[in-house]
Amino acid sequence: MQQLTEEQRKQLEEKLKGMTPEQIQALQKQQCIFCQIISGKVPSKKIYEDKKCFVILDINPAAKGHLLLLPRDHYSIVTQVPEELLGHLFVVARNLSQVLLKTFKADGTNLFVANGAAAGQRAQHFILHLIPRKSGDTLLNQEEKLVDQQMVEKVKIAVEGKLQILLGKKEMPKKEPVIVAEEKYLTSASAKRYHRQNCAFAQNIPEENKVWLSRESATSSAREPCTCVSGKRIPLSKDGKKSRVKKEKAAGTKKSEPKKSSQQKVKEQKSEKGADLDDIARLFS
Amino acid sequence: MGCDYCDIVDRNSRAQILYEDDTTLVVVKDLVLIPGQITILPRQHFTILELVPDEIVRKCSVLASKVSQAVFDSLEPQGTNILVHNGLGGGQKVPHFAIEIIPRREGDGLNLQWPPKEVTEEELEMVVQQLEPEVKKLGDLTQIKPEEPQQKKKEETKSEVKEQKENYLTKSLRRIP
Repeated sequence: MQQLTEEQRKQLEEKLKGMTPEQIQALQKQQCIFCQIISGKVPSKKIYEDKKCFVILDINPAAKGHLLLLPRDHYSIVTQVPEELLGHLFVVARNLSQVLLKTFKADGTNLFVANGAAAGQRAQHFILHLIPRKSGDTLLNQEEKLVDQQMVEKVKIAVEGKLQILLGKKEMPKKEPVIVAEEKYLTSASAKRYHRQNCAFAQNIPEENKVWLSRESATSSAREPCTCVSGKRIPLSKDGKKSRVKKEKAAGTKKSEPKKSSQQKVKEQKSEKGADLDDIARLFS
Repeated sequence: MGCDYCDIVDRNSRAQILYEDDTTLVVVKDLVLIPGQITILPRQHFTILELVPDEIVRKCSVLASKVSQAVFDSLEPQGTNILVHNGLGGGQKVPHFAIEIIPRREGDGLNLQWPPKEVTEEELEMVVQQLEPEVKKLGDLTQIKPEEPQQKKKEETKSEVKEQKENYLTKSLRRIP
């Protein structure tokens, strides 16, 4: 873009101070070459358009078929683009990527966004680049480097909190904790106890027999809480169970053996499901 | 076996998970262009972008925006790049679709620029004409609202997960003497 002299810049800054956000937005739109392309004031090579986005050829492409996907409204960087619109842009990119692969027999594509001048952004309009690639060209190919685990953890610690805050409002409610927070319990029509949703006993209730209880209705009902709710041990009051325990006691050493093996089996199953490396290491030692 | 990103999903890797839900993960890998780089990947194994369903493309792109913001807030770079290597020719190293968020600073040594080609008006017009028939087939992409089948799919996968859990738990219950 054109360079401003010191005076012009000062003038502009003062002008901007006195303007409302709407006026600033209108000015940005006026100044933005891509907004002018979208409104038809500047000619372009249009490939695709719909009511949300506008796709043109890059006039100085990285490769033949290099496309620029533009939102119709003016946004500077990705974080300003509304979610719905951003999602649409990526879906359009996926469809056009397929077109490029087919039409130019490309061996791959790159999606590329630059946010900020340091990242290589040239224009003040959000652009999703879609670049067809041929094997052997060296565009955007940079060697990946192995970084040590400390660095990985450092990055995690630095970014995790901020990301959780940003996602906290929208994404978290979808997950299970909400159900826990509502304190809904599961039981079946004939059952004497009620369970948390994630309790093993609750999982055993066939879908058609499931009865949902709110916390109030559960505590006021004649049903007792399962150990998953109360945190207590199950009292072995039934005769059948008692006698089984006695039998096992009589058997003596036999009792401890199957327990161990069941624990081991659980462990093995854990490792199959991708447990910690430590767990696996312990199995081998 | 074989897919490094599926290993991340299965927690069989040195990568650290920042966020995960039923469809997507945000992770820090140890093999990166620059430290601070963050990767967004779908839980399910899709090799290339073209195979990823709408709903997950949308989800990943929104996460890309959120991660960019989180990176701006925490690592305070001067900019970020969002990059997808799609297909072997596109420089894709792991056969599992992913979006990379790369924090940038002046003089960080990364070169993600390309030499701009000078092309003539005629060449551009030719590209337009070559692309036209295939693009026309796409129709209006705002019209596509595949929400219903997507929801059904979600329910299916959810019930599958439940079944697995049931099996696992009932099995472990049976083992208790």
